[in-house]
Amino acid sequence: MVRDDVAHSGTMPVRPALSVRNLVVEFATPAGVVRAVDGMSYEVYCGETLSVVGETGSGKSVSVLAALGLLQTANLRRVSGEVVLDGVDLLTLPQVELRRRLGRDVAMIFQDAISALNPVQRVGDQIAEGLRVHDRALTADAARERVVELLEMVGVPHPRARYDQYPHQFSGGMCQRVMIAMAIANRPKVLIADEPTTALDVSVQAQILDVLRLAREETGAGVVLITHDLGVVAETADRVAVTYGGRIVETGDVTSIFTRPRHPYTAALMRSLPRLDSTAERLLPIPGQPPDLSEIPPGCAFAPRCPTSRGREVCVQTRPELRADDAGNGASACHFPDEVAAPGAPPPSTESAEPSSGEAAGPSSGEAAVPDAEVPDAEVPDAEVPVLEVGDAVSRFPVRSGVFARASAWVHAVDGVSLRIPPGGTLGLVGESGCGKTTLARLVLRLVDASGGRILVEGDDVGRASRSGLRRIRRRAQMVFQDPNGSLNPRLTVGDNVAEPLRLQRLPRARRREEVRELFSRVGLREEHLDRFPAEFSGGQRQRVAIARALASRPRLLILDEPVSALDVSVQAQVLNLLADLQEESGMAYLFVSHDLSVVRQVADQVAVMYLGKIVESGPVARVYDDPRHPYTRSLLASVPVPDPVGRETRRRVPLGGDVPSPVDPPSGCRFRTRCPIAVARCAEEEPVLREVAGGHTACHFADESGRVSV
Amino acid sequence: MYGYLVRRLMQFAVVLFLGSIAVWAFVLLLPGDPATVLIGADASAAELAATRARMGLDEPFLAQYGVWLGHAVSGDLGLSYYSGEPVLTELMARIPATVQLAGFTLVLTLLIAVPVGIVVALRPYSAVGRLLQGYLTIGLAVPAFWFGLLLIIVLAVQLRWLPASSDFVPLWQDPGAALTSTILPAVAIAVHTSSVTARFLANSLGEVMGKDYIRTARAKGVPEREVIRRHAVRNAALPTVTVVGLQLGSFLGGTVVIEAVFNYPGIGRLLYTAIGERDYALVQGGVLFVVATFLLLNLLVDVAYGVLDPRIRLT
Repeated sequence: MVRDDVAHSGTMPVRPALSVRNLVVEFATPAGVVRAVDGMSYEVYCGETLSVVGETGSGKSVSVLAALGLLQTANLRRVSGEVVLDGVDLLTLPQVELRRRLGRDVAMIFQDAISALNPVQRVGDQIAEGLRVHDRALTADAARERVVELLEMVGVPHPRARYDQYPHQFSGGMCQRVMIAMAIANRPKVLIADEPTTALDVSVQAQILDVLRLAREETGAGVVLITHDLGVVAETADRVAVTYGGRIVETGDVTSIFTRPRHPYTAALMRSLPRLDSTAERLLPIPGQPPDLSEIPPGCAFAPRCPTSRGREVCVQTRPELRADDAGNGASACHFPDEVAAPGAPPPSTESAEPSSGEAAGPSSGEAAVPDAEVPDAEVPDAEVPVLEVGDAVSRFPVRSGVFARASAWVHAVDGVSLRIPPGGTLGLVGESGCGKTTLARLVLRLVDASGGRILVEGDDVGRASRSGLRRIRRRAQMVFQDPNGSLNPRLTVGDNVAEPLRLQRLPRARRREEVRELFSRVGLREEHLDRFPAEFSGGQRQRVAIARALASRPRLLILDEPVSALDVSVQAQVLNLLADLQEESGMAYLFVSHDLSVVRQVADQVAVMYLGKIVESGPVARVYDDPRHPYTRSLLASVPVPDPVGRETRRRVPLGGDVPSPVDPPSGCRFRTRCPIAVARCAEEEPVLREVAGGHTACHFADESGRVSV
Repeated sequence: MYGYLVRRLMQFAVVLFLGSIAVWAFVLLLPGDPATVLIGADASAAELAATRARMGLDEPFLAQYGVWLGHAVSGDLGLSYYSGEPVLTELMARIPATVQLAGFTLVLTLLIAVPVGIVVALRPYSAVGRLLQGYLTIGLAVPAFWFGLLLIIVLAVQLRWLPASSDFVPLWQDPGAALTSTILPAVAIAVHTSSVTARFLANSLGEVMGKDYIRTARAKGVPEREVIRRHAVRNAALPTVTVVGLQLGSFLGGTVVIEAVFNYPGIGRLLYTAIGERDYALVQGGVLFVVATFLLLNLLVDVAYGVLDPRIRLT
């Protein structure tokens, strides 16, 4: 019944492998009916990759889960529209029939592969189950053989032995490879990958994207790649659909989306992205918050944040439909698509503060610390005394085993790290998960006891501080955590959350309230919201609350542990700009811990790269990013997907192989040598020291030969 | 796994030792002198002193404990003051009865709890689901002894289908008679324990059904029945195993009240009588047995965890 709409898009004269038409998904919530997906349509053809890109809550994941009948929450109210696969509308099929097609004709790859695998079943059996459920005649032995082949294909080493292991014995990247093997087992016509690399480190992300590409070539399937990461889109997609507020606001081929966006949201999203390859002085965030789906305005959902709309009546009143452009290779749901194309749109107002980063050139040029009148703790620190000085810090954790639970081995989470942050400076600490960067951040506040070394906060020894001394130090050095949901007390109002440090200082109630008001206005929150609870705020706002709380004791040092990782791109830029402004105002120093190299480049003036508990390279941002001398830094930088599809074929990306080795038994000599493209025999014998090279510090025997290999 | 077992067994020994001190010392705190109990309150002072000496009651406490522990380790828990039989013999005579009742009750509990738990978790709003939720509420609220009395009145006294008081008939001698003699107390207990277990199972199953790996299984095309059987139930079984282990411990420790209600000759009734008669040696031995059983079951539960969940293995 749907055969005759071939060549719907005009460019591909074949039937789409999967086509979603006018999909609507509604949930019943206490706040009323929420329309999470509001009439989405897209199709994917065999052999191509369609990327559905959007922020949290834009309906991109919900649309596919609903399409495949995998949405089984009790409050699901309505799924309507058509999801056509092989001429059959999946939404009309009874469950038994639908299941017969899932995993055979259309397969899914999920985010967070470790929890997507059954923890109590052998990995190989889980893949084999997908085969045998669709082919009852397949014997167990034959299935096993096929699974071993599949594991080999997706790059799991020792597939025969690995077959019998459990998911917890696999790393995140390996689990994702297993997911991919499971998905391509029956050679499906459509592969749907829902944020397949989101929880992974950049080096592993690059590996997985390669495996996905391989999987597409191997099966010839059409791939729907759902992601929020514009870099991933630019690297992998053929066509792109941008979602906002439950609708698709723009579609087009990947090059035109990135070079000539025709919807203001797409354009604004690109501008708000911190870039690895350039140092914009200041990000251009999208003002405001993502839409609340329970009260979508009658007009364009993006209108309240739109730089193009400028409050025009038609944007507020009439919802724009997705209309194809004249050339016929893209469509935009904007009343004024032609105005978008020119990106000279004025930056959002109210933000005229000078940039705080970027001027860093020399190793110790971060001393922007203007003695600050706001600091009550009288003694303004001498500019000579660094706010934070870490000397040879070590943190070990025992691995217990045996009959008496003796420590049979030690994990050296942090193994001899030294750093220094001058007043007003920002040190970016980057590295992959498990490299010890978070442990290091915790050592500074003695949330974890150091096993060795010395940590000084404004000259005071954290390790030797008495109880009250430690309390004083913790007042001067505050921490902002990654997850604002977990770090704010949900039973206290946001005002009380922020007032907590002030209460500990025994400030009278009225004064407290006043201070909190002031803090709220400093971080850009509305004072009227003081008495609301954290759950009533979006992620970005909650992180502002967490920052306000950290500011309450007027710290000289802010330790930011992945402060924007949980936030959407558009909101991330707001928070990064806020942090820059606060630093400008108060001369605070930042220790900024992140796995995101682009973000660190944006905020930091000094960078330290950690690998397996050690710093392998450090120095001013320009030195580390533009002239990296350590092969690890070079590989990391090369692994970051570039949000620019132009020239992606010619970009040679050699992803780092394998996973980070276990810190219990780190490789001898140079710890990076097992994954290093230029390692030689000497690297296994002699541990390279961190030495001064080209204006920075690098721990590599070959640091002087910058041109030796270009990764 | 091996190291883990050895370590756990050593812990077991230590805890049992501490438990033995508690068991032994607790008797000292009770009112009344065992010697008086043995020879009667109107015995002369000389007789009393002689008996105390014979029983070792005039030694210092620590010495008494040392002697008692030394004997206990070699299996000699002393003589029952009342019957004069060795305590061990008395206990051994009752253990089969208790084990049989416990086994019956366990089987019944699981037979009821597993299907009820699954239905309540997956179809909470269906007619059957609502009915079973009602059963769970009643089962949790009604005490086992009251339900036991009800069973006696209806099934034994009025309908005369089953005997009101049960003598112990070993299963291997006469399965039919064993069943009829054990079924009433077993049902009385199982109604309550199955409700507890089913509720636990339903909770954890409900949680597991929302996990990512269940979604993965569905996306693979696994039929819903098998998703539940192969993926959900095993994961949901973990917390339930703890509850079942604790319940089994309490069955074996003697369901004192139920055994009294049904006049069932198990450990529970033995202890109940021994306490009434101030038969301290018997109480000590019996409680020690209960403590050891509990500890052993805890160990078994932990081992079962390791078998069910590969993440818990090794250490």
